[in-house]
Amino acid sequence: MPTALMKRLWLVAGAGAISVLLGIALIGGRQAPGEADGVQAADPLAQSQPIQFPHDTHAGQFLIDCQYCHYSAERSVDAGIPPVETCMGCHYEGRVEGRNNPEEIAKVRDFHARGEPIPWRRIYKVSDHVHFPHMRHVAAGIECQTCHGEVQEMGVLEEMAPEAGNLKMGWCISCHLERGASRDCTVCHY
Amino acid sequence: MSGGFERRDFLKVLGVGGAGAALTGCSTDEVERLMPYVTAPEEITPGVATWYASTCGECASGCGVRVRTREGRVVMVEGNPDHPVSGGGLCSRGVSALQGLYNADRIATPLRAGADGFEAIGWDEALELLANRLGGGGRSLFLTGRKGPTESVLLNDFVEAVGGRRVVHDGLDDSALRAAVSIAFGVNALPRYEMAGARYLVSFGADFLETWLSPVRFAADFAGMHGVGGGAKGRFVFVGPRLSLTGQNADEWIPARPGSETAIALAVAGELVRRGGDAGPYNDFVSGYSLEDAAAAAGVETEALSSLADHFAEGGALALGPGLAGNHRAATAANLAVLILNAAAGSLGDTLHIDDAPDGEASSYGNLASAVAQMRAGSFGVAVVAGTNPAYSLPAAAGFGDAFGAVPFKVAFATTLDETASMADLVLPDAHPLESWGDSRPAPGTYAVRQPAMRPVPLFDSRPMADVLLETGQRLGHDFGAATFRDYLRGAFDRWLAEDGMRAGLAGDPNRLWRTALRTGSVSHVDLSDKITALQPPVTAVDFDAPDVVGGGMEGDSGLTLLVYPSSRFGDGTHANRPWLQELPDPVSKVMWHSWVEMNPATAERLGLRQGDIVSVATAEGSVDVPVWAYPGIREDAVAIAMGAGHTDYGQFATGKGVNPMALLPGDMDGASGALSLLTAGVTITATGAWQRLVTNEGSSDQDDRNVAPAIALSALGHAPEEEEHAQGEHGQLRELQEMGGFRPVDTEGRAEDFPLPGSDFGQYDRDQPRWAMAMDLDKCTGCSACVTACQAENNIPWVHEHQAAIGREMHWLRLERYYETVDASHSGPVDIRFLPMLCQHCNNAPCEPVCPVFAAYHTPDGLNAQAYNRCVGTRYCANNCPYKVRVFNWYRYTQDPADGGNIPEPMNWQFNPDVTVRNNGVMEKCTFCVQRIREAQNRAAVEGREVRDGEIHTACQSVCPADVITFGNIRDHDSQVAARAGDERTYRVLDALINTQPAVHYLKKVTHHDVEDAGH
Repeated sequence: MPTALMKRLWLVAGAGAISVLLGIALIGGRQAPGEADGVQAADPLAQSQPIQFPHDTHAGQFLIDCQYCHYSAERSVDAGIPPVETCMGCHYEGRVEGRNNPEEIAKVRDFHARGEPIPWRRIYKVSDHVHFPHMRHVAAGIECQTCHGEVQEMGVLEEMAPEAGNLKMGWCISCHLERGASRDCTVCHY
Repeated sequence: MSGGFERRDFLKVLGVGGAGAALTGCSTDEVERLMPYVTAPEEITPGVATWYASTCGECASGCGVRVRTREGRVVMVEGNPDHPVSGGGLCSRGVSALQGLYNADRIATPLRAGADGFEAIGWDEALELLANRLGGGGRSLFLTGRKGPTESVLLNDFVEAVGGRRVVHDGLDDSALRAAVSIAFGVNALPRYEMAGARYLVSFGADFLETWLSPVRFAADFAGMHGVGGGAKGRFVFVGPRLSLTGQNADEWIPARPGSETAIALAVAGELVRRGGDAGPYNDFVSGYSLEDAAAAAGVETEALSSLADHFAEGGALALGPGLAGNHRAATAANLAVLILNAAAGSLGDTLHIDDAPDGEASSYGNLASAVAQMRAGSFGVAVVAGTNPAYSLPAAAGFGDAFGAVPFKVAFATTLDETASMADLVLPDAHPLESWGDSRPAPGTYAVRQPAMRPVPLFDSRPMADVLLETGQRLGHDFGAATFRDYLRGAFDRWLAEDGMRAGLAGDPNRLWRTALRTGSVSHVDLSDKITALQPPVTAVDFDAPDVVGGGMEGDSGLTLLVYPSSRFGDGTHANRPWLQELPDPVSKVMWHSWVEMNPATAERLGLRQGDIVSVATAEGSVDVPVWAYPGIREDAVAIAMGAGHTDYGQFATGKGVNPMALLPGDMDGASGALSLLTAGVTITATGAWQRLVTNEGSSDQDDRNVAPAIALSALGHAPEEEEHAQGEHGQLRELQEMGGFRPVDTEGRAEDFPLPGSDFGQYDRDQPRWAMAMDLDKCTGCSACVTACQAENNIPWVHEHQAAIGREMHWLRLERYYETVDASHSGPVDIRFLPMLCQHCNNAPCEPVCPVFAAYHTPDGLNAQAYNRCVGTRYCANNCPYKVRVFNWYRYTQDPADGGNIPEPMNWQFNPDVTVRNNGVMEKCTFCVQRIREAQNRAAVEGREVRDGEIHTACQSVCPADVITFGNIRDHDSQVAARAGDERTYRVLDALINTQPAVHYLKKVTHHDVEDAGH
């Protein structure tokens, strides 16, 4: 039994390896980024944010500090996604109703009333083998905008800002090089 | 491409596969959701660990733990340095609590036995059923494990309210010791040993570094007493037929016959009395015993015993034991004999204290046997089993299964189904200690609290037994004064403060003290207990000269005695369902996953057996088939098998692994205490003709001439020859790679702090870097292997299962090497067994680095030998070139779910440390010096605008070591602890002098009382 199973595993592994190689070739040669998106467009819910949250209104117009909501950026690896209760701090019933999109605020209140988290679509994510400590970067005086772009001028966030360099390693390194920060592998990879 | 398959079609097929790979392989195309809290818990910052102080619930010792949680999920358990008993250490079983919490075999809902096996029911229905049966189903029997003091009070009150009987059962039984203390001092208490204050320690078989009473505490005390300090070092003698791990730590071994410890202890006490010692009411009695008779009875030399007497006469001595090794048909007499010896040696009130305060609960086989008889007689309508597994852990001869099966309604509180719970009519999923409230009183005047470190794992609808009792009580109309056990416990704390605490000036606001207990794990006050300092005349007759303590005896007697001993990994079997512990090489035999029978190589030769031969070990009660492991540390007339393995129904990790030696025991007991006898004579060994390769990580038990673990004699300390001072510089000219190829000589003495050398500075590194290094004091290392399990827990190291481990693919980053120098069971004399925790040495001149074709193995500017997983392509050149064999390779997808071909089923992967990358197949990995902890400390220090403090970083292995073996820090800082230890005269680095690897791990040689051949390196 083990030998037969092993043989099959090898066959599967072999076919997989060839597929992956070809797949890499395909990605490399791909011209239009819309191709992959085209596949996903079948599920519109997967694309958009559950609530049309305007960063420009909050951070731009009302000058709310980023860390008012992303509350752990200066002391943790994670910047922190605001608890629904943070939204309700301003948007509780009868308070800030929202001039432009009252129906979006109603959604927030619904989530809160049901005791459910808001399932935000994640835009920024480094790979699992990368550790990005927000607090080190905040402590070094890096503005949030350096990586996340001019968020205070953006509406609903649906894609990464061009400043983020697609979060590729070369982009990290170029900044570390510029600022004389460590380029040792184990600063991020462990 | 024949057979009509066109090349274009082939490419099309592959193209489709390729697109699929592109979509699944590129994670940025997938939609991931960020789920915020609705209301953020105050104590949780995302990405920052929250720690809780609590009490370990894995055995009755009650060690203090610190539980690390991330985003509300428990990820690590470490020792709590503030705890008055365990003092910062923990054992492998304690660390494995994580795998009890997240065990894939945990029961998800209450279960009711139906015609087709168990069916899931809701809690309401289950509680209704329980209340009905307890209220009107006849008399009830409660068989429980040992519980914390407050839970025990509740349980006893509950049992009284419903009119039942409670019997405590723990396979690691202390009833004979309690019975002996009760006879000698008139109090039901365990003695308190102040080992740290002793200069001479004798264990009559007690495995105090493994399972006996409080092994973590004992390991710390033993390190203090036996580790060299100020040019002095205590001496430890082990008396008994088999060297347990504890025995392997001894300086001298008196290989006495099984069951002869009573005669030896009484004879030595008699000798002391003759020399003026005082054994109070026993003076005349012990004078009747002579060393010569005892030596003859024990099969050892009289000189060895008179040497014992000489050392005892000098004072500062302590006799321990005999523990479970003395659990035979005269167990109480054996325990009493050792207490008498302590009294005669003047240890009472010096190194041995008896508190005049009853503590704990006796658990005896005798009580259980009487309950079994009552069950068989139909005296009980309901039997409740909680926290114990008698269907497995009792000898078959006890007849538990049939008797229990005959009870009309059987209830089990259990976290996973085991042999007993599987027989129940109603199974109630119990909460794990890490999810529960509780307490312990580890010493008079100390209150330690257990608090839940997380909400119950949501996959399992479990409830703590104590809460179920309170609710059932309400349904039956019994009021225990609280609705939840948390409130009940809080009330008990206030009462403890009022009765005990306040008396000692532990005054103040109870709420504040409670918060202190929650924050630090315990509150203590000065010890108030009245100490008993004299033996009292025996009130019960004790037969010291039982004609046959061993029992057994059958046709064709082979002259062999079978010793069944508790496993340091599984205890009495409770921990066998933890894959970490199954794959932890047994500290004595280094065998994983299966059982073995220990026999002396001479016995094996006499019987014509080789290592790995599968033999049938038979007694009148039954037989088991088990491979032979030849062990020079056991007498020729004894064979031994560990408890804890051979489960028939205990989840996917324990069932069918190894054999259960309880099947071989006749179930006879010590009359005075009811302790189960764990020895039996008349065992026969028959070869079956089959052989198996032992699943072991032991390469060799002999160092040959490599001097991996050298030692130095105590008398040679401080007299190191001149050249030894420069042992580090013994290698030839150090050369290093240069940028354009080839080597160039470097001007250095090779000190760790000289690295990295200028020539290796290819990147634009900041020169002002620390140099991380470790120092390990081998004189303190007991080989307990807690570090191995802690490393596995911290670093997401998978287990590989038996068949992969058998071919050497186990993934441990840290292993405990064990070398025999002097072990001889044929006569009394010195014993010298060396332990060496072997991990990546983080060589400054690392052989693994230059052979990596992709720079995955490389040196960091702060001196770590790093492995960049995402660079590694799996050539394995590095492992082949590593002289320490510390690099391990992911041959398969061990870390994945079994559905994906891996080993780690949901939710055991919930334990993964989010700060460490989970490696997949094809990747080489190894010890990182816990780089995630280094970076965390550096991040914290940078945010706070300071340097990392010395001692701020504790590696995982260090954070559980009970014996303070491991020191970690920046060796370039000359004031650091690690620099101080590395500068010790005992310091050496493994293989450095031979192959010039310049390791960052500094070992301090073991110190022996006897002369050793090679004190140098």
